Amino acid sequence: MSIVQTAADGTTRAFRIGQTERQDSLRARNARFTEGELLKVRVRRSTDRSAGATYQDFDVPYRKWMRVLDALNWIAENAASDLAYRWFCGSKMCGTCALRMNGREVLACWEAVEPVMVIEPLRNLPVVRDLVVDRAPYERKVAQLEPWLERATPYPQFPEPLTHASMKSASKALDCIGCMCCYSACPVIGLGDLTDFAGPAPLVQLGQTALDPRNGREKVARSLAQTGIFNCVSCYKCEEVCPAGIPIVSMVIEPLKAKAAALVPHMAKHALALRAVVAARGRVDPGALVLRVQGLRALAQLPRIVRLWLRGKVKPLRTLLGTKTTAAGAARRLLTRGDAP
Amino acid sequence: MAVIGGGAAGCYAALNLHKLGIKPLIICKGLTGKSGASLFAGNLVISGRALGNTEDNARNTAEFLIKYHNQFLIDQHWARRCGEWLERVYYPELEEAGLYFRRDDAGNMVTSPGKIRSIAANVQGNSGVPFMDLRRKQIIKANIPRLEETAATALLRRSDGSVGGVFCLDTMTGEYIVVLARAVILATGYSDRLHARSTGTREMSADGIALGWRAGATLVNLEMQWWHTNDIADPPTWQRMQVYPNPMLGSEKSARMVNSAGEEFFNQQEDDPLAFGPYTVQLKALAKQVRAGKARYDGGYYAGFDHCDAAEVETYTTYGKAYRQLGLDFPRQLVETAVTAHYRQGGIDVDTATMRSSVPGLYVAGGVGGHSNGLIGLATYDGKVVADGVAADLPRLALCELPRQEVAREEERLDALRETAGDGLVPVKIKEKLRKVMWDKAGVEKDAASLRSALGNIEEIRLDLLPRMRLASHARTANYEWLDAIDVVNMVDACELIVQSSLERKESRGPFFRRDLPQTDNKHWLTANVLQKTGNGFRFEQRPYELPFFKPDFIAKDNLEVAW
Repeated sequence: MSIVQTAADGTTRAFRIGQTERQDSLRARNARFTEGELLKVRVRRSTDRSAGATYQDFDVPYRKWMRVLDALNWIAENAASDLAYRWFCGSKMCGTCALRMNGREVLACWEAVEPVMVIEPLRNLPVVRDLVVDRAPYERKVAQLEPWLERATPYPQFPEPLTHASMKSASKALDCIGCMCCYSACPVIGLGDLTDFAGPAPLVQLGQTALDPRNGREKVARSLAQTGIFNCVSCYKCEEVCPAGIPIVSMVIEPLKAKAAALVPHMAKHALALRAVVAARGRVDPGALVLRVQGLRALAQLPRIVRLWLRGKVKPLRTLLGTKTTAAGAARRLLTRGDAP
Repeated sequence: MAVIGGGAAGCYAALNLHKLGIKPLIICKGLTGKSGASLFAGNLVISGRALGNTEDNARNTAEFLIKYHNQFLIDQHWARRCGEWLERVYYPELEEAGLYFRRDDAGNMVTSPGKIRSIAANVQGNSGVPFMDLRRKQIIKANIPRLEETAATALLRRSDGSVGGVFCLDTMTGEYIVVLARAVILATGYSDRLHARSTGTREMSADGIALGWRAGATLVNLEMQWWHTNDIADPPTWQRMQVYPNPMLGSEKSARMVNSAGEEFFNQQEDDPLAFGPYTVQLKALAKQVRAGKARYDGGYYAGFDHCDAAEVETYTTYGKAYRQLGLDFPRQLVETAVTAHYRQGGIDVDTATMRSSVPGLYVAGGVGGHSNGLIGLATYDGKVVADGVAADLPRLALCELPRQEVAREEERLDALRETAGDGLVPVKIKEKLRKVMWDKAGVEKDAASLRSALGNIEEIRLDLLPRMRLASHARTANYEWLDAIDVVNMVDACELIVQSSLERKESRGPFFRRDLPQTDNKHWLTANVLQKTGNGFRFEQRPYELPFFKPDFIAKDNLEVAW
């Protein structure tokens, strides 16, 4: 998600969310050091999965346009040759050098260094050693979603009829380099086994083919049923950290949710109920929402209902009378527009 | 069947073996489809008559491959078979599997115009990423077993000398793995990261050449090192990021190169439209600038798109991203560029009909072979040929029994490297030293004296630095330092063979510049420079190339005056 600013001369610049608040444009971040200036780098180190971690400090001399990976390479060559960190391509293609710098997920080969850096491994994955995480949990989820095409009709011939307009979302997802920055940043993944949410990165991997018009409906439905996608809280953390600039929520997760609601409606029970309540009443009526999702089973929790009633969280009378707010008309209009999912 | 390498050639070999009912196992030092050079494929050249190519386009593509890409050091019969296969099988098969060849909104496939046309997977500049991601998923779907982040450290041989196994190190756990197979396919790639500036990825260290040589494989044209001319000069990690000089999708323009005086000295679409991948043409243009004092091989010249508007460049390419990430004003500002060692044209000598090496049981596919220079389509074709070659030989290939002595020797060697009590340099420093020797003395320009001096330095490294190598950690888990120690031994061996081969070729040709032998000599050196292992060392032999379709039109000429 980005914010577009228009300057006095009419030129526009787009900022990703988070960047504007920090006032750290790419231009400023690449121009603030002098050659040889010492950067303070603190690296989290651990010898294996079970051992505790320590932090080790290094002074790293800046060199032109230095990336975080250059700083790690300097450390390995000059100060701690046993530092474990993973990278292959060094140019934002393989997606294996992701880590956390000062608390946010970055791709080490792509991100400019900062004057003071705390470097840590990605979250939500086991640490093998130092900055190296075990990719296996992520890889297992991706494989489980079967992220490939199963055509409903036979492949015609090369080149097959296909427009970019129909591939727009899939094409964005195809920019994914599987770096797992979003997987580390996702608060729902951070809940561990409490949900069955596949996580943003596996969903983007799935989106590459599930949002491809050539894929068969049955195949897409089968894959979507494995995703727990409605656990996504649309917090946009994934989109904020994505080094490939993929609009993960707006161009991948939301279209996938819409597909899931159409192809696997039982997954979307809560989301569809919420929408119906808002469309009918012009606001979220928690009582109505619970009744629609749980039915009369909700009444079995009578003490809880009473507690919520006393605290003003639910208003049973209003729920039963079906009271509308003045926004009901507008809500209905917005939610039944053609482009709404 | 053991397949070493998880790039375009290795993956396609494994997929084809699987289709033929032969069980492959992929051993990949990095991650299948995520490490190595295949990811770097910017776009995909249209070969033959595909996608509305004219007869002229088809001929141009073939001529480009043979002249500009390989300087005639290629089996032209193989090139023809490959071209036909690409046209007939490659594109349809990729599209059927789901690869998205970029369309416009109306559904036309977007191509680059010009004498040779190309297409892109999703975005130009990034085609290798979805391409290899598709391969990774095809491998997963086919349930083909993979040993990832696992380095092959030695080829294991039967008592008759034939290859039938691989000794491996799982770099994450530090465990040794012995793979026994009916045969081994080496597919370790083109780019070996032996120079101070190299496009080779983190894990590249000429392992394929070193392992093949130790097993007795004949090598060929090792001196034919290919260079990128406009890769970004700073920061160091971006040394592999190229300002692509090729034609752009949906535009008539290409990047331009400018010397330190601000004068343009190369622009592919204007200067040499037949040089689709104009790397050698660029290098020669740069050499003239270097001699005129207007550029250096390690910087002092610039590349970019300041003659284009941003949308023209960025609608179908990734080319603006690096500029923007550096905070540069794209496309108005240019970026400083430098030369980077790219692919090695040479490698292990193969029979191009079957991909057999000179050692029974050892097959080769893709860039580590010495039969052609890179392009992801060519590497892929090798994957098909090697699978067919292995299938035909299958009745004669028995499963290897455990060669206990060889296994014990390799275990001892790796243990010793890990447990070393040396007090010298750490392995990564020795790597850097070696890369500097190669850059300074066996780099873009070299002569007999600099090459001999390089041999002396390599010998010092081998005899003095390697035995005293120091490791800060002797752990097994994710010990990249230990891996560096294993790598550097391979690098020293490969560098020596490369420098020897460079001394042997008594001419200049394409990207191979000898200051002391500036002429391209088609009378004596239109030949393979074959390096054979002997009982007490090695010997060189020349093997002429057949020239059935394209021939050079001169006998001898100053290499810098030759277009290709």
